[in-house]
Amino acid sequence: MSSGIVIGYDGSECAKEALRVALEVGKAYGDRVVIVYGFEINPLGGGEIHEYRSAVREVASERLKEAIAIASKSGSDGIDVEAVIVEHAPAPGLAELARERDARVIVVGTRGESPFRGALLGSTPHKLLHLADRPVLVVPGPGGG
Amino acid sequence: MESASLVEPTVVKLQADGKAFDKGLKSNAIGYVSNLVIAVASTAPAYSMAATLGFVMLVSGIGVQAPAIILISFIPMLFVSMGYNYMNRADPDCGTTFTWAARAFGPQAGWMGGWGIITSDILVMASLAQIAALYTFHLWYASPSPSSIGVLAIGIGWIVIMTWICYIGIELSARLQQILLTVEVITLAVFAIVALVDVYSAQATSAAIKPTVSWFNPFDVSSVSTLGTAVLTGIFIYWGWDSGVSVNEESEDSARGPGKAAVVSTVLLLLIYLVVTTASQAYAGVGALGNNAGDIFAFLGPKVFPKPINLILIITVLTSASASTQTTILPTARTSLAMARWGGIPKTFGHVNPRHLTPDVSTIAFGVVSTIWFVVIDILSPNNVLGDSVDAVGFMVCFYYGMTGFACFWYFRRELTKSVRNFFFVGIAPLLGGLSLAGVFIVGMSYYGHQKNNYSKDLFGLGLPDVIGIGLIIIGLVLGLIFHFTLPEFYSRKPEVADPQLLAQSR
Repeated sequence: MSSGIVIGYDGSECAKEALRVALEVGKAYGDRVVIVYGFEINPLGGGEIHEYRSAVREVASERLKEAIAIASKSGSDGIDVEAVIVEHAPAPGLAELARERDARVIVVGTRGESPFRGALLGSTPHKLLHLADRPVLVVPGPGGG
Repeated sequence: MESASLVEPTVVKLQADGKAFDKGLKSNAIGYVSNLVIAVASTAPAYSMAATLGFVMLVSGIGVQAPAIILISFIPMLFVSMGYNYMNRADPDCGTTFTWAARAFGPQAGWMGGWGIITSDILVMASLAQIAALYTFHLWYASPSPSSIGVLAIGIGWIVIMTWICYIGIELSARLQQILLTVEVITLAVFAIVALVDVYSAQATSAAIKPTVSWFNPFDVSSVSTLGTAVLTGIFIYWGWDSGVSVNEESEDSARGPGKAAVVSTVLLLLIYLVVTTASQAYAGVGALGNNAGDIFAFLGPKVFPKPINLILIITVLTSASASTQTTILPTARTSLAMARWGGIPKTFGHVNPRHLTPDVSTIAFGVVSTIWFVVIDILSPNNVLGDSVDAVGFMVCFYYGMTGFACFWYFRRELTKSVRNFFFVGIAPLLGGLSLAGVFIVGMSYYGHQKNNYSKDLFGLGLPDVIGIGLIIIGLVLGLIFHFTLPEFYSRKPEVADPQLLAQSR
């Protein structure tokens, strides 16, 4: 079975940096690169969940189209690129998808955020390190890290 | 029990033309405890009690019947929530009065329903901000006048911070929410128990009265006018409970889990409200609570608890008010987002922030309008922002909840005679809920039409709650007329009738 590279992508600068690295790794191993956009709707908000969910999904699709464009521009010929929307909190969503696909490695970017913000909101890379059952490659963002 | 797969990925494969495509997604499943937490946290018991209990006692002729009002206010909310439950089946996910009234009665009614939701939420922000500001001062043992500039400033700061939190999408973890809610419920329970023990051991205030069965009997309320007006206030404390119940439709075990969470949250809320109301009234008497209507827990706290411990009660009200602010801003922004996506209001309200994934335009617009409203009502009613807000919100809630009840009855009208269950639960209960809320609306309007019953000075010969209620409905009609002509695509939609499948498949 061919292994894959799972990369968490949200369209930010650091995610683009992580995507660049993920494509490199994918090329080196001849692995498929699975670009994942994860999001979660807070049920506490209630109300028009359906419309809100479709609105966020549209944003996610836009970002993934950009990611695919970046991948094809960077000359990703020879490797498979797949884009996936995972409707789940990003860290457990990535960990679970990587397990399902038996990925070689999970790639994520770090924003270089302040430790306070990370502690308050929880940072995806940090949570991922605890949740993942396989290697995680953390890529510092441009100017961050 | 581990489900087969945590994630249900949608594959957006790169196609020859470079376009992506999108498969359907499975919604998140949420557990029984989360359901319960959402239902109770959305109602915010400590804040709701702080904001309303004193005002129930102020309704003329109410006497010692506040517990009876708490009991009876629940009935129309319960009936309409059955309507919520069935209307939810018409939508793939949770909807609101906006989508349901649009389906049942047409897009114009949908607009008015959405307007009812948005305006109720704007009105309640003034009450939330005022409570948050007053209790922030109480933390430092300060008791400023409700009309002071400090209260206004901290209240505005509160709205700004909470709007910003919702804008950047900060969410407390589920665990933290559970802890906060547990602390809230325990604090209220301990407060009630200590107060009641003091009453029976004659250690309470000199105005203390021992509870009797008559307190709980709605038929002992002196007049229909008193009953209706007090229920108008009482409705406020249950408002929000339905949002937890509607989210239940999304839960893991939709056959058993949701029903159980709805029943448990209902019993829990009724118990909390009844016990706290009874204990407060027994401890301090009706007059003292009415005199301190704006901050009953700040008044009762230091009497029931020794001095530093009473701060827990103050903090509980503050955290409860924060939870309530979040469950006010989030659904309102989602409602206006949905209205914009359906084409019922200008498109810009449907914008989603690419980084925070929040309905940014809707959220910020809501924060700005709420701030303006808080300042306006502070000027109109310097000493009674809270009382007037609660009653004005009551009117708007009667309006849109009532509409939901009628919408359910009408949407499913062809299904009602198909089974006894349909007839009572889908037809009669929501209809009765709608009718009783309409009754409360009318009785309340006539009560606040009398000068002697108003907290603040009159406007156009009417009490402020009446002016706000009628004024908002008129503004809604005018805006609706404008949108009718500027957004013809949405407003030319035809009403629908329920697909018989909706009720057949959901046993």
